[in-house]
Amino acid sequence: MRRLLLEMRRSLAAPSRNPRMATVLGRLLGSAFVICFLTGLYSHFLQQPEPWMHFATRPFFLYQLTQGIHITAGIACFPLLLGKLYSVFPNLFQTPPIRGFLHFLERASITLFVSTALIEITIGLLDTFQWYPFPFYFKQVHYALSFILIGSLAIHIATKLPVIRRYWFKKRSFDENGELLLDPEDRPVTSEQIVDEIGPRPEPTAPIARRVSGVTGRIFDWIDSAPPPKPAISRRGFVTTIGVATAALVALTGGQSFAFLNGINVFAPRKQGIGPDSLPVNRSAKAAQVLTTAMDPDWTLTVARQGTTMEFTYADLKAFPQHVEQLPIACVEGWSQMATWRGVRLSDLMATVGRRDSEGLRLTSLEKSGAYRRTNMGAEYVQDDRTLVALEVNGQTLDIEHGYPARMIAPGRPGVLQTKWLSRIEVL
Amino acid sequence: MRATRIALVALGIALLVLGAVVMQSTVSTQHIVGLVVWLVCALIVHDGIIAPIVFGAGLAMRRYGKSIPAAVLAILQGGVVLGLMLSLIVIPEIYAKHLGTSNPTVLPFDYATRLLLLWGGVLVATALAVAVYYAAARRLKNRPSASHD
Repeated sequence: MRRLLLEMRRSLAAPSRNPRMATVLGRLLGSAFVICFLTGLYSHFLQQPEPWMHFATRPFFLYQLTQGIHITAGIACFPLLLGKLYSVFPNLFQTPPIRGFLHFLERASITLFVSTALIEITIGLLDTFQWYPFPFYFKQVHYALSFILIGSLAIHIATKLPVIRRYWFKKRSFDENGELLLDPEDRPVTSEQIVDEIGPRPEPTAPIARRVSGVTGRIFDWIDSAPPPKPAISRRGFVTTIGVATAALVALTGGQSFAFLNGINVFAPRKQGIGPDSLPVNRSAKAAQVLTTAMDPDWTLTVARQGTTMEFTYADLKAFPQHVEQLPIACVEGWSQMATWRGVRLSDLMATVGRRDSEGLRLTSLEKSGAYRRTNMGAEYVQDDRTLVALEVNGQTLDIEHGYPARMIAPGRPGVLQTKWLSRIEVL
Repeated sequence: MRATRIALVALGIALLVLGAVVMQSTVSTQHIVGLVVWLVCALIVHDGIIAPIVFGAGLAMRRYGKSIPAAVLAILQGGVVLGLMLSLIVIPEIYAKHLGTSNPTVLPFDYATRLLLLWGGVLVATALAVAVYYAAARRLKNRPSASHD
């Protein structure tokens, strides 16, 4: 068994499978994970804030930026993670497989790390396609798993810290001819070592053993007979390939979040400018079951504070001073787009019921059901002059898909909280 | 370094515990079981299927490409990996679109056609890179100074 593991490690050895490569890819991938974790936490708490939390409303594109980075960095993780796993793959066959309790914990944490990383980025990607083939809820699992992923990342860095330090700098990793400088324990297993340690391959005695060891032996001989790769070319080719793949993925999908990449948006699940009023839609009026209620000519917006309740018709809202604001609609799934909104300033509307500066709101939509039918809005957004009860977008009366007759639009908030088909605004 | 390592392990364990608590309090046992199945499958798919195929393909390329320069092999490998990496992202997208979307602004493109065009582009780019390599190699060989040095 030990021979088999050693032979596998020897055969799997490749110039691009070395600790320097693992360090280089590891720090990129680790940074991407941490960026995704922090931007993900920000998005989580925007949607489920603790009572003491207050959020920045400026820059107005803050959420557009953080969530765009979250999704784009998550997509970049695919080539980085696969490249990283490629560079360390022979370690899967280390022998003895477990050298003691600490080594067992180390291997267990890596197993957990690799599987959580693969699943976390996969379900994240599928969520942006709105496809949920997995047997659990996306949001809760993606959130809980992120702590496990970053926790096992910290443990992984701790266990690999000597290797990371040794191979962090290019100067210590290569000699002047560009040859990789490997410490003895980092060199790949050679056939001489295996012969030294275990002896030459045994001559099989029994017929079955002959057949078995004959097969593995023949496989390894066949592998050995391939011409060896050229180290420098093989390494450079590998780095270039991972780099080009990462850059291509970011370039061809980033346009859903970043306008400057819109022209080369080839593969993103969303496209800026596609949709009613040139804006993409997430929850449709049909899905929200508002097709009749939103078009009802007797619709009114209820605004309430303690004992005071006011009802505003569409014409009443039009009679308020109308303000124009440029604000993005930015979805938790990463896509976003700037738009020009026109409507009533929320603080003007709330002044009619005597709202105090520190008071937050509860917004209710005409939606029949759904997790975001009723949401809360912190006082900081109500205070912000750019927050509107919008009646128009991009010069047109709101399309029903964008929340006709009236929707909320505030700076720096996730799209799910920009309540469409407003029905009631209540001071808390 | 020892202190850093201890701090990292402590941080890691704290986050693992937090993750387990959050998981336990927000995800039903049945769904956690489903998640564990997926986690195990991810390892099997990567370590047991993808990695051996990649290894076998690389080996086959070296064996059957003995007469091809190493740099050309690296370019060819790069092209294949690039195309596969993008396919890995786009094929689920094609399937998700095939299943139907909640509204027409979700997955608005014809992703299958675009992926085919991308493979065409990768093919052309790879061929160009190989041509450039051969041209450069020939120029280096025919350089008059080379024989006098």
